[in-house]
Amino acid sequence: MTDRGESDDDTLRTGDGVDAGESSTAAETEAGESTTGTETDAEDETREGLESDGGVSEPAPSSPGVAPESVDGLLEGVESAGIEGYNYAYLDEHTKREVRRATLKAIAIPGHQVPFASREMPLARGWGTGGIQVSLSLLGPDDTFKVIDQGSDESVNAANIRRLAETTANVDPTRDTTAASIIQTRHRIPEEVLTDEQILVLQVPTTDPLRKVDGSDDRNRRRHAHQNYSKMWVSLYENVVEWDEIQIGAAYPVLVNGRYLMSPSPIPRWDTPKLHQAETLFLFAAGREARIYAVPPHTDVEPLAFEDKRFQRERFPEACALCGSTDTYRTEVETDDGKRLYACNDTSFCEKRQRDPSIQKAHHVDRDVGWERLEEPAVDAANDGGEGR
Amino acid sequence: MGYVAVEAGEEVIERAEQLFEKRRTEGESDPVSIDQIDEQFGRLVGQVMNEGGLYAPKLAARALKQAQGDTVEASFLLRAYRSTLERWDDSVPVSSDEMFATRRVSPAYKDVPGGQILGATKDYTQRLLDFDLDGGDDPTADWDLEEAEPESLRNVLEILREEGLLAEPSAEDDGEDYDTTREPLVYPAPRSAILQELARGETGAITALGYSTLRGYGSVHPTLGEVRVGSLPVQIEHPYTGDPVEVTSVEVSECESVVPEYEKRDDAQFSFGYGLVFGRNERKVIGMSILDASTQLEGNEPVHDTEFVCQIVDGVDSFGFIEHLKLPHYVTFQSTLDRIRAIRERTADGGDSPATTEVSGDD
Ligand SMILES: [Zn+2]
Repeated sequence: MTDRGESDDDTLRTGDGVDAGESSTAAETEAGESTTGTETDAEDETREGLESDGGVSEPAPSSPGVAPESVDGLLEGVESAGIEGYNYAYLDEHTKREVRRATLKAIAIPGHQVPFASREMPLARGWGTGGIQVSLSLLGPDDTFKVIDQGSDESVNAANIRRLAETTANVDPTRDTTAASIIQTRHRIPEEVLTDEQILVLQVPTTDPLRKVDGSDDRNRRRHAHQNYSKMWVSLYENVVEWDEIQIGAAYPVLVNGRYLMSPSPIPRWDTPKLHQAETLFLFAAGREARIYAVPPHTDVEPLAFEDKRFQRERFPEACALCGSTDTYRTEVETDDGKRLYACNDTSFCEKRQRDPSIQKAHHVDRDVGWERLEEPAVDAANDGGEGR
Repeated sequence: MGYVAVEAGEEVIERAEQLFEKRRTEGESDPVSIDQIDEQFGRLVGQVMNEGGLYAPKLAARALKQAQGDTVEASFLLRAYRSTLERWDDSVPVSSDEMFATRRVSPAYKDVPGGQILGATKDYTQRLLDFDLDGGDDPTADWDLEEAEPESLRNVLEILREEGLLAEPSAEDDGEDYDTTREPLVYPAPRSAILQELARGETGAITALGYSTLRGYGSVHPTLGEVRVGSLPVQIEHPYTGDPVEVTSVEVSECESVVPEYEKRDDAQFSFGYGLVFGRNERKVIGMSILDASTQLEGNEPVHDTEFVCQIVDGVDSFGFIEHLKLPHYVTFQSTLDRIRAIRERTADGGDSPATTEVSGDD
């Protein structure tokens, strides 16, 4: 009913001897730190200690000198030492395998949301737990890992996620987009062109674009199965009627591979074209909603729009106050003296531009990807000035 | 760069953590021990274990200490720890008849087989703040008690069941219980998954949603067959002999309720709601039985929508996402600003522009 049987043996990992019921309380008595396995042989005996009130019983003695193939023998080899006591890359191997399976399935069906049994992570849900599960299932000791939150490597939550990967998976951290093999990101795709040797892991808060038109996951899964997106189109149409604009800010819904309606996660519309026919594998992961989906390389990704109401990217009235860029996503900054400035959101690339203003987004690749030289439309551009495809 | 509002390196994070830790240690009293929390805050420990989905009193007490008493944070710590552990086995299903009940009340009947057992409760005492609450004396010290044999109590609802008055929830086909910590929860979900989600639900959320239907937002107003608190044996199959072996026991609260919702059925029967959680938590277990019943019954109110109930009650989900709003959102906010300005420019000629507009995607 609840989790009976679940907590049966916690001991292999840290050697806490933690367990459901009294064998746990026994081992935990010493602060759960370094007691090695106490149960297995001692179950029946320790039962007595509990009869009274489910309280603490005496720690069952672990038998010294047991054969190495016994559980106790194995447990004695496991020393609890804080984070070092955890498995490589934090997740146990079963979990990693499950996440990888879901990921492979997601790649095989571009844009389709694949359920997986999302684990509780040492980060709060909604703070990148899906992303970190996917990242940790992919990372190996040779990887170089970059984490950005809303464009910044130094944002506190990005630093926290990076620290978890560094301490549990021994990866090298980097802030340089071109040097990373795996990049975990919240709400941005970096400005510099990504290559076929990189994977971008995007954190997703709300997986289904249809949620807006119907709260039920059950009904929306049926709609996806039948490719029935009429409710979404009606909603966009009503949007245009009411506001004369498609009034979606970030997380602009896209059609993937001509088949599945997908939320690209709350990236700005600025980044949406980067998903189309890219070299890179994009993985989207939602921990709280327990879904993984993907845009594999060389896949069509098309923002929903009407012929006479095209998809539009964000417009910025000024260049970056720091590096002078006019071809990057900028956010406005209100200064203490009441002025409004614009600055690049991708801080890593802005710093490169500050050192070398001529550096291009595709400086490290020898191909033209189309979007990297796009200037934003002028602020007063007519509606059809957008770059809908 | 000095422009990005929330930027910090690891040192800043570490210092924030140290400041948090200081809050716990800066008072002049002695640090509270894990044992003290376990023994003297049993209700809290029970809540953390049932919301955390792990029966481990000492770990729950440790989590409470670490979280400075925040129950949701503590159950989150417990879950995050548990998610790193392998799952080795299932216990054998056990009937709650086998529970060693320390408390059992049956509101449905005046007299029940085995009798009403009031047990340890404050239900019927006056809630006066006690200014003499310092002593460690046991007021039952001079009670004259015989050592009682654990007595198994027949479930009150068996009476109705034998008479055919109780509609049994539809049985699941394969007999395998669904474990939402190991299998993704998709809807429609099997009842074992729903019960697991309810059992791990946040106490306040379960209470509030359960109350909502009593208050008129739903059609369930149950009669409780019984509420029990006691210790339930945990058995596993012996790896060699295959016989069930009792390895431990867990303190649980249990509630069975009947709902007179028979008008929707061809054969007039009571509907049935079940609740069971770790530790002592009677209001949660009653709320759980209401929600178990309501999600099996049709209705337009939130409590009858299984997806809604399961999505909303999880404290770790709701706490995480509510608090994630503190994270920076300037990328998405900029995108939203752009849309609103575009609409204002377009409507500038037509007088006042729309002032309030719900712009989505700002997550
Ligand atoms: Zn810049």
